[in-house]
Amino acid sequence: MTFVFQRLLMLIPVAIGVTIVVFFMIHLIPGDPASTILGIHATPKAVAFLHHEWGLDRPLVSQYWLFMDRLVHGNLGQSLYYSAPAASIIATRIPATLWLLVYAVILAIAISVPLAMIAASRKDGVRDHVVRAVPLVGLGMPPFWLAILLIYAFAITVHWFPTSGYGAGFFGHLHSMFLPALVVAIALAPVVIRALRASMLNVLGAEYITTAKSKGVPAPRLFLRHVLRNAVIPAVTVLGINIGFLIGGTVIIENVFAIPGIGQLMISSIFQRDFPVVQGVTLVFGVLVVMVNLLADLSYAALDPRVRFDR
Amino acid sequence: MRVRITSAKALIAASALVVLAACGSGGSSSSSGSAAPAGAPIRGGNLVFDALQDAQSMNNTTVFDNNSIWIFEQIFQPLYTVTNNGKGVEPWLATSYTMSPDKKSYTFKLRPGVKFSNGKPMTSADVKFSIDQDRKAKGGWDFLDLAIASVDDPSPGTVVIHLKYPWAPLLADLSIFANGIVPNNYDGQTEAQFYTHPIGTGPFMWDYWHKGQALKLVRNPYYWQRGKPYLNSVTWEDVPSDNTRELNLKGGQAQIDQTPAWSTVDSLKTTPGVTMSLFPSTQTNYLAFNEHRKPFGDVHVRRAISFAINRAALVKAVLFGNGKPANSLLPPQVPFYQAATQGLQFDLTAAKAEMAKSSVPHGFSTEIIVPSGNSDYITIATILQAELKPLGIKLNISELDPNTVNNDEQHFKYDMVLTLWTMDIPDPDELTYFAVDPQGGASSFFTFYNNPTVVKDTVAAEKTTDPAARQSFYNVVQADAAADAFMAFLYYSPYPYASTSNVHGFFVTPLGNMHMEDVWLSK
Repeated sequence: MTFVFQRLLMLIPVAIGVTIVVFFMIHLIPGDPASTILGIHATPKAVAFLHHEWGLDRPLVSQYWLFMDRLVHGNLGQSLYYSAPAASIIATRIPATLWLLVYAVILAIAISVPLAMIAASRKDGVRDHVVRAVPLVGLGMPPFWLAILLIYAFAITVHWFPTSGYGAGFFGHLHSMFLPALVVAIALAPVVIRALRASMLNVLGAEYITTAKSKGVPAPRLFLRHVLRNAVIPAVTVLGINIGFLIGGTVIIENVFAIPGIGQLMISSIFQRDFPVVQGVTLVFGVLVVMVNLLADLSYAALDPRVRFDR
Repeated sequence: MRVRITSAKALIAASALVVLAACGSGGSSSSSGSAAPAGAPIRGGNLVFDALQDAQSMNNTTVFDNNSIWIFEQIFQPLYTVTNNGKGVEPWLATSYTMSPDKKSYTFKLRPGVKFSNGKPMTSADVKFSIDQDRKAKGGWDFLDLAIASVDDPSPGTVVIHLKYPWAPLLADLSIFANGIVPNNYDGQTEAQFYTHPIGTGPFMWDYWHKGQALKLVRNPYYWQRGKPYLNSVTWEDVPSDNTRELNLKGGQAQIDQTPAWSTVDSLKTTPGVTMSLFPSTQTNYLAFNEHRKPFGDVHVRRAISFAINRAALVKAVLFGNGKPANSLLPPQVPFYQAATQGLQFDLTAAKAEMAKSSVPHGFSTEIIVPSGNSDYITIATILQAELKPLGIKLNISELDPNTVNNDEQHFKYDMVLTLWTMDIPDPDELTYFAVDPQGGASSFFTFYNNPTVVKDTVAAEKTTDPAARQSFYNVVQADAAADAFMAFLYYSPYPYASTSNVHGFFVTPLGNMHMEDVWLSK
């Protein structure tokens, strides 16, 4: 528990660091939210009126202080674009991104585990080479291109899935999010397969595997109970690190499949210079990355009873 | 004596404007799609629009965003509405008006039997409240109501608008969505509460808005046009990717793509099951010069650049041929557009002669700022770069984040910038006030252009209600503005809309208004 508490405590400096960097970066780059709201009608008078309404005519440090003061009270401020609480706008977008990530991870595992087992079962054999080479194509394909191919194949040609959208209800999400999650999973699977295969080969050389084999343990049971369980930790590490990167990269998939997630919100808010929303989303991204890494660390202990974090 | 102008007369007046403006307008943009109804309208169905981005707000008095406007126009309706050719108005929630002899008071008769979507009847108190709210909307559309001194509601079916001075564009100003009618005192709610689920007299009423995902309106059961709307509901879905909007259309997941990319227009014209429509619009693209930066204060430099631009080449490269070279500050779909104004069309010899007369006869180095990722503008800038070379002008292209480009333009931090305009009212006043009158709040479209003769004629055209007199004033304004080349008028483009072929009755006015009550879906 001390370990978990320490890691959660780390969130505080991370969050403060993220707010400082994002706040000053977004305010120091050129651009103005009034330009978005007013468009071509942004006369100096109208711009000055909005700046005053939003408090943007105050010194930057005082704006930051106000932002932090609100933040500790759980208030991210008002979205300048929507004139609605930034927290509620972000909160409505988080589920779609989480759905995409979790669904993608499940599909990536479903693809990676059998393929890694096939590859490791015959090192340097034909199937090993095929499994090591073919998924790399997935890694090399631009996600937006793969997404359009999949839409053409499975949404336009055979109508198995919708062309885009998030769907409604659990089964609606499950149906609508399959193609986007598959695109993410195809990008994620090659690295997981490689990590899993390498660690499986290591485990296969261990004495306890030789013992199990000599005791006549059947191959499927040997792989699932003895090899996979002991080989999975490096793969979990790789998965954890890549999910961290994926959280920032979901915007492309969200854009192509019109998924109302925080990645898409982040991009539109940057273009609109919707400062409170950009700050809020970045904070959420920061917290998500820390949490995913924490979950990856905690899963070591769950997967391997020998691992203990407490002293 | 009060001059009574009935709805029929208003239509005749509007038609006269049409005839005037159509003289030599050269026709409208091509439309490959057929929006004509096939058979009797069928009732029912949900129509899905794929929109490039989410709406911003439903507050019709402060919002400038088109994605919001196209939606709340289905909820709120004005006293007069824009005619389908975009050049006049026709009675909508009012049926007629009379004008006082001094032309400073207008008395409107309201259409009987109009109800809000909550079932309450619309009265003059609602109209007074609505127009007064727009007049108070600081930083919003209040500038269009500046001529109004007060609004009275002497009886439930009558509204009187008193003006500070005779004001020709009044009916056009009243036709804007910002003067759409909302219930008196927001039906007992605060302004903020009201606009989260607005109530109006339009064909559709509020259902939900999942921000960043979809906004849905459903049929208003109290709508005053019998039998309309035909659709049960209309949904706007946010689909930022051009490719995905096209795929949604082909997959039948959406019925209308609001912004197909120009590069796809030709292929969509031949796609089975898709209707590609190009509606004549008021959109005009310009190249603006900052006259406070050397050497753009020199009229010969501006004229030289304007002469050097091959507009037909821009139309071909950017719009894939689906537009027209611009000759005037005003687009052809605006009343009082003067087709005879030639503008400064492509003529390299004339361009070189102007450069020779300028303060920089041997050329100079300058910069154009363009929004990164905007392939249309980057194409224009690249063509301009090549076209200005023979004049000795070295044009550097600076690609900046779109918001930064807008901001730099509005703070005059540019040499040259590409910009555009679409009309919101069927009267040139909105554009001329903004573009050539330094008192219009934007220092003449952010250029610092100031020609006292042009300003004088613009103001005179606002104050006279005689169409012939207004036409002659606007003719001079257009000719002088073209000769001064304060901006290079580049091209007029239509509004591209792609729809599935089961959509009928869909039409967009040159101002962008859509009457969704007329739209229906066949099986």
